Amino acid sequence: MKLYDVKLLTVTCEFLAQKNVIEILKDHDITGYTTYEVEGNGAKGLRGQGFKNEKNVKIEVVMREEKLSGVVEDISRTLFPDFAIILYVSDVGVVRTEKF
Amino acid sequence: MDILQLIQSNLLTPIVLFFLFGIIAARIKSDLKMPEAISEFLPIYLLAAIGLHGGIEMRKTGFEEMLVPMLVAIGLSLLFTLNHYQILRRLGKFNIFDSYALASTYGAVGAVTFSVGLSFLKNQGVSSEGYLAAILAVLEPVAFILAIFLTNMAVSKQIRTKKQSFADDEELEIGMKQSSTKLSQVLKESITGKAIVILLGSIVIGYIIGKEGFEPISIVFDELFTGAIVIFMIEMGIIAGQRLEDIKKVGIFLTAFSIIIPTFNGIIGVLVSTALGLSLGGAVMFGLLLASASFIAAPAVLRYAIPQANPSLYITSALGITFPYNIIVLLPIMFTISTWVHGEGTIDLFNYVSKVFI
Repeated sequence: MKLYDVKLLTVTCEFLAQKNVIEILKDHDITGYTTYEVEGNGAKGLRGQGFKNEKNVKIEVVMREEKLSGVVEDISRTLFPDFAIILYVSDVGVVRTEKF
Repeated sequence: MDILQLIQSNLLTPIVLFFLFGIIAARIKSDLKMPEAISEFLPIYLLAAIGLHGGIEMRKTGFEEMLVPMLVAIGLSLLFTLNHYQILRRLGKFNIFDSYALASTYGAVGAVTFSVGLSFLKNQGVSSEGYLAAILAVLEPVAFILAIFLTNMAVSKQIRTKKQSFADDEELEIGMKQSSTKLSQVLKESITGKAIVILLGSIVIGYIIGKEGFEPISIVFDELFTGAIVIFMIEMGIIAGQRLEDIKKVGIFLTAFSIIIPTFNGIIGVLVSTALGLSLGGAVMFGLLLASASFIAAPAVLRYAIPQANPSLYITSALGITFPYNIIVLLPIMFTISTWVHGEGTIDLFNYVSKVFI
């Protein structure tokens, strides 16, 4: 089986930053992503208590390497100062590279 | 003395007691927690009940009567938002983003506070005008839209001055475009948002079905109403209790602001609405609309539109300070003032009439 190298971008951020992240993805013509609600602790304190809006969300996006730096740059520039957010990038292999 | 007695008896109602109980449960670090589905369901239920009730009442009174109070409420809400901004920015020395976020949080309305007010009046055996539910719906986005608009103006002004020094055209254009899309997005989302949709939908349905149509569902939407608020109050108490430490971070100025401003706005509301001819209960609810701060809708709107503002400031002050103050202390105060001005009005009139005729 042949696997193609692509990048997996994982963003864990406060629930209300989700919309902003997805907008940025859209700006870069990325339509596929997966989100799930998560809880945890971090620099901004324990998150996931109280209102649903105060939960965290984890967004996973698989993309080609060309698009990665633009997306990461936009997220860092617009969201890092104001939101509880972390992101990391990992190498993954996919079978159908034409999907991304 | 009257006010104190009323506050005292209000303190011992199940709504307030369960709220305080929720705070205690959070303080002793109990794992007591409302299931998420219920805490999402209850606001929808409360708004549906408020809307149905309002719609049925509006069928009796018609729409004409509501126009002037609604316009006055919008005007006051905008005026208060500007006023809050000046106070926070000049006296409180908050930055522009926090000032606008807080100003609109206090200019906006709280649906939970509104529900508690309705049940308080029910307890006192007083009714209120049904169209206040429609005013609640209309007022919901008004203050936010103003604040977001003004924040955008201020930001683009800053970008423009920066542009003159750096001459970076592209950045400016992006900034301008972003802020205008944000505003239209917020406008669209608040109008199609669940709170306004369920509220307006229920008003229309209430208007259509009338009193007879309401009969078979009244057990759910009328008799269970106060009970549902009580359950929601446990949740509110827990969330407020978890934030109690944050109150220290809020600071003395904002703490005073979160008590003085609702009192001022609420009393103005009671007086203005009495002058407009609203009933005793209606004036209390009108005052409460202006006194209440938004803590469920506000974070969702503001975090998106003014992300630079610190959310723990506006959530903590609105939920941790203003909400308990409003339902425990201010509601009885406004009720007493409303009773007083309504009672006084008729006595005055009577004296006047008797003076003229005798």
